[in-house]
Amino acid sequence: MQIQLSHLIPLPLRDKLLQRTSDIWNKDVTFSPGSFIKIKAPSGTGKTTLVHYLYHIRYDYSGKIIVNGKPWQDYNKSALATIRQQQVSIIFQDLRLFDQLTAWENIELKRVMGPAPACTGEQVQEMAARLQVTHVLQQSARTLSYGERQRIAIIRALVQPFQWLLMDEPFSHLDEENTRRAAALIAETCKAQQAGFVLTDLDNDVHFNYDVQYQL
Amino acid sequence: MRPFFQLLKKIIQTGIGKSRLLMATAGLGIAMVLLLIAIQAHTNFNQLLYGRQNQNESADFLVVNKKITNAMMGQSDKSMFTAEELQTIKQQSFVEAAGYITSSQFKVTAAAPGELQFYTDMFFESVPDSFIDVKNEEWKWQEGDGVIPIILPNDFLNLYNFGFALSQDLPQVSQETVKNLPVKITVSRGLLSSQFTGHIVGFSDRISSFLVPAAFMDWANNRYGNGKAAAPSRIVIKTSDPANPALVKFLDDHGYTTNQDKIKYSKTKLIVQTIVSVIGFFGIVLLLFALLVFSMFIQLIIASCKKEIQLLVMLGTAPAQLRRYLLRQFVPLYVVTGIVAVLLVAVLQWVAARALAAHEMVVSPWPGIGMWIAAVVVLLLVYFVNNRTIRKYLD
Repeated sequence: MQIQLSHLIPLPLRDKLLQRTSDIWNKDVTFSPGSFIKIKAPSGTGKTTLVHYLYHIRYDYSGKIIVNGKPWQDYNKSALATIRQQQVSIIFQDLRLFDQLTAWENIELKRVMGPAPACTGEQVQEMAARLQVTHVLQQSARTLSYGERQRIAIIRALVQPFQWLLMDEPFSHLDEENTRRAAALIAETCKAQQAGFVLTDLDNDVHFNYDVQYQL
Repeated sequence: MRPFFQLLKKIIQTGIGKSRLLMATAGLGIAMVLLLIAIQAHTNFNQLLYGRQNQNESADFLVVNKKITNAMMGQSDKSMFTAEELQTIKQQSFVEAAGYITSSQFKVTAAAPGELQFYTDMFFESVPDSFIDVKNEEWKWQEGDGVIPIILPNDFLNLYNFGFALSQDLPQVSQETVKNLPVKITVSRGLLSSQFTGHIVGFSDRISSFLVPAAFMDWANNRYGNGKAAAPSRIVIKTSDPANPALVKFLDDHGYTTNQDKIKYSKTKLIVQTIVSVIGFFGIVLLLFALLVFSMFIQLIIASCKKEIQLLVMLGTAPAQLRRYLLRQFVPLYVVTGIVAVLLVAVLQWVAARALAAHEMVVSPWPGIGMWIAAVVVLLLVYFVNNRTIRKYLD
């Protein structure tokens, strides 16, 4: 699944962004399947906005995002749902877990949403063990610390089939050790699914072997 | 799909406003029962009315004439039907066929043969052959035939046997005997006369008159009549439903009258129809309100879970999945309601059938096909409306 950006500019940030150079905004960029992509972005340059554009939950831009040869706007609601169930997964910056569900149920929701789960319940347990959140799985998401919620959100993004994983500051609340573990899990899962990812962050990092690095 | 729906159940709370849902369901149930009862009552009444009378024929015949009032006595032309009037009658939707009853314009006398001292003046009438119910191969006449087939009214034989014969010490006669009795018929006008042998070929309940074949009537009227084609004063109509209130109203409006016995059900039918319509009307009104409350309930659920639904869609839940989940919360509810309503009406029908049977009135112990169709239609309607509501508010 190929993602092409063509002269993409967020309308609210238009004037500000046109005054500075960027590798992404107002350029022609192609994300080729399977590549690990890092987008480094200082605060206020539209990092989260870009991720939301790529996931098609914000539409206030000029230019185009072309997915598999078609602009996002050409996909209807149910086609979009299919893509989100089977081809594109996401870790939101603000995580977006359901407070009324337990951590386990939050993961399970994404795992059984589509027609064919990417992994079994046991595999979810293993992932939880690797990220050291096994003990909170049966707790309500409301009662978890931010770091725990972030790890649950990471696992949730990995249990579905995907070709692209979008990550918006996925390790912002994790210590170094946990970041290392989470990055290893993400890299492994992406390799296993032959998927690529787009990661946005504020600073340079060495969590992954990036194929491409952009400055937003 | 199942585990996913179980998770959805925790996110989209349908428990909110349970009393409202209960009210809507109860309303739907009562509405269905009322509607089904109305339809079933209609079916039953029709069955009672037409089930046994007229077993072999689907049509009934009425002889219609104008009311003879004091004011028109002596003016026989006022009781005549004109061609336009016949045309108007034929055009009514409840009239399948209509024809003149032609009366004789000549003198007729009849004399019994042999020792039966019997001699009388009489008359003949004829109707188009398609209105004759005792049809047999003898029912024909052509010029030169000395024998005229005649149909007598059943009532006439009864009057003779049980009224006249008993009081005058005369023998009672059977239909067979009468059929074998050759009657001497003299047809005349002034000095001109012909003699025929009358042969009784049958008895009719349908038309109270002495009937001869139309061919004979035409010939005799031509030869012995006064030359003027007289307009007839009686009309026979064929109708599938003599109790049709529209028919009765038509007759009343035009000052026509007919055998009251045959149309006596009309009033009962009108009353029953009114009651059934009122029940059915309330059923429909109630159904509409139930649908409204259902729709509002669905709207409430969707509105109260707006954020959750948005996040679900964001995570990739298909609109069809949400629709199916929401419908699954309601469909079993009204399918059960429908089944309960149908069962209730079926039990009522069974009880009614038994109660009526005690009075020798036969209705089917099972609900009619109309009720089943109505039940299915109502359920489909509810499903359709709910589906539309969900679709509308999810988007």
